Amino acid sequence: MAPGIFYHDDPAWSDVEPIPQEDGEHPLAAIAYTDEYSEAMSYLRAVMAQNEYSERGLELTEHIINMNPAHYTVWLYRSKTLEEIGADLHAEIKWLNPTALKHLKNYQIWHHRQIIVNKLDSSEGEADFIATMLEQDNKNYHVWSYRQWLVKRFGLFSKPEELQWVEGMIEEDVRNNSAWNHRWFIVMGGRDGKELPEAILKRELDYAKYAIRKAPQNQSPWNYLRGIVRYAKLPLSVLKAFTLEFADLARPDEVFSSHALDTLADIYAEENSQKEEAKKALDLLATKYDPIRANYWNYRKKLLDQPEAVS
Amino acid sequence: MCSAANDESTLNYARHISYWRRNLKTFLPSIYQGNDSNRMTFGFFILTALDVLGDLHSALPPEERQGHIEWVYTCQLPEGCFRASPGTDFGSHRNADNAKWDPGHMPATFFALLLLVLLKDDLGRVKRREILIWLNKMQRPDGSFGEKLFEGSVEGGNDTRFGYMAAGIRWLLRGTVEGPVDGVPDIDVDKFVKCVRISETYDGGISEEPFQEAHAGFACCAISALQLLDRLPLQPTSALAQDDKIRGIPNLPLLLKWLVSRQTLTLEEEDNTDTLGDEIDSSATCHDSHSFIKLGSYPSVGGRQSFDTQPTSHFELSWVGLNGRCNKIADTCYAYWACAPLHILGRLDLVDKKPVRRWLLDKTQHIVGGFGKMPGDPPDVYHSCLGLMVLAIFGETGLKDVDAGLCMSNSAKSHLESLPWRREILGLGPVQSDVAQVFDHLAVSGG
Repeated sequence: MAPGIFYHDDPAWSDVEPIPQEDGEHPLAAIAYTDEYSEAMSYLRAVMAQNEYSERGLELTEHIINMNPAHYTVWLYRSKTLEEIGADLHAEIKWLNPTALKHLKNYQIWHHRQIIVNKLDSSEGEADFIATMLEQDNKNYHVWSYRQWLVKRFGLFSKPEELQWVEGMIEEDVRNNSAWNHRWFIVMGGRDGKELPEAILKRELDYAKYAIRKAPQNQSPWNYLRGIVRYAKLPLSVLKAFTLEFADLARPDEVFSSHALDTLADIYAEENSQKEEAKKALDLLATKYDPIRANYWNYRKKLLDQPEAVS
Repeated sequence: MCSAANDESTLNYARHISYWRRNLKTFLPSIYQGNDSNRMTFGFFILTALDVLGDLHSALPPEERQGHIEWVYTCQLPEGCFRASPGTDFGSHRNADNAKWDPGHMPATFFALLLLVLLKDDLGRVKRREILIWLNKMQRPDGSFGEKLFEGSVEGGNDTRFGYMAAGIRWLLRGTVEGPVDGVPDIDVDKFVKCVRISETYDGGISEEPFQEAHAGFACCAISALQLLDRLPLQPTSALAQDDKIRGIPNLPLLLKWLVSRQTLTLEEEDNTDTLGDEIDSSATCHDSHSFIKLGSYPSVGGRQSFDTQPTSHFELSWVGLNGRCNKIADTCYAYWACAPLHILGRLDLVDKKPVRRWLLDKTQHIVGGFGKMPGDPPDVYHSCLGLMVLAIFGETGLKDVDAGLCMSNSAKSHLESLPWRREILGLGPVQSDVAQVFDHLAVSGG
């Protein structure tokens, strides 16, 4: 609808009796609605109350969604309307793209997209659109969740392109934790807890180490590295030589990563005879390299003195 | 606990009270229009904040309080559950054919019940039995809960937010009793707990669903839900460590580490750039305040030289913020989403409260009252409520004692716990009529 035109002036809507909102005398969190929104909502209630599925209803949902994308039944109503009138779902995707770009933080848009793409039974064009979205915010939670759904829906786990794509995202921003998490999903998601083949285990350890060497004070690849070691049920000591590259108690002034120190503390704690070394590492964290978490590092030190605090 | 005497930073009570009274008494500006479907939630933020500030009683004369109670009840559906605002109400046009467009809403039902508690209603008109029947229908076969029902199917994400609210509704209406109540079967608690357990991530956090990225909001909802269901993980030292219930969180030590890792020195976008030219971390930059820097490649000569003259890692600990995910910027609401679960797990001592308190008061508290998302941002009801709640959890003088998981004062909670119908379900005797008032009084004066 053109700006400034209201439904009550529009001959196409003259047969509809709008249902106004009744808020009573003492509403809570009442909002100073614009006239445009109030009126559109009155017409939406009217068409919903009639279960009207029509082109004009579709346009009305578009109007509402642009003002209130979090409306929790307007999306269902839209999707039901599309189905009932046999609308062109490709056109729906075309409309959704700019709408998603306008409302970056909205969840419903992505759920709706899933419904449509599921019906289209094709992921064609979706990767390009995701790339456009991630240019706006490379950590957008909804977009990454949607990407996971695409991978599951279209069985893309074993496609080399998916791994290459996420590797590109990490190359662009090695601190993008969403990208690291997606890598984990690609590598582990289809595995169902089964053992990691030797070659993949090595590839993943090498990749995390390569990224850590680029930026040692970056928790994402450290978490990834330790996650892989835990998944493969390896002792943490397999990371000892690597960790010492960034934090060595013999050179306490040349620590390049608090996460290396933390890992070192855990490695020493695993070796029962090295508890004093573990404490030294935790002390360095508490006093010098990560004092914002001093309380936590001191707590970890206390745990070392407890007989077998099972984790 | 946080002594204002030793610290310059102060909570401006008068401004906060006037900010919240304005939200209570006047229209929210039209910028809130996009949150029209969150009105019940926002109503809760407004009332719980005023209550925690000790102002709710004086802000609401009896006839207004009663008026708000009536408003909440007009949002109750014949099916028991609540709609989120009158925006979906068809009035006299509502019928069996169109009711699907005006469904019960999980967040609205949870927050409507909490609102009635805050307004000192006895929940006598709440269709408790119908809500509990509805709650069963809202659970999916995998144990998760959704936002609403549509044509028989559970719609909305299947993350812990809705599970938390479902657990909250169950706790409000029937405490921690397991098994059927009033002939209505219990939700499948075990299945839900399993659902929480599998959303643990490789870095120890909790995500929206398995394999998604760890996020403090989901972690908080999960821990709060487990508390409401009496399924928190037991401490290894506890004598009860071997009970036969399925409990939450496979790796508690790793979750604690993940939660304390949310503390960050990246408080503003500019903080990301302090080592931009250095290209690689060094002893001098070994802290997290540059966590978004996109690195070129390996250290250049210039990069190396730039460290030579720098002292090793001395940085200001005046302000510490909290983020919601690894390598993200601090945001007021995440102080709640990260500190509340630590508090519920009995480990808030792992966070140094002083610099977090200073960050909230010096950086995100707004001059007109309330809190913004980030320094300089205008206040909004969501960040303002959660920021205030964190200070209450920290024991800020003059704020009421709160239940972190319910985001509500303990005095309000005690009103619920005194209601005869609820005590009967829990097998408790009648409460002495003055106990609740005494508790209320203590909570306000005690801080």
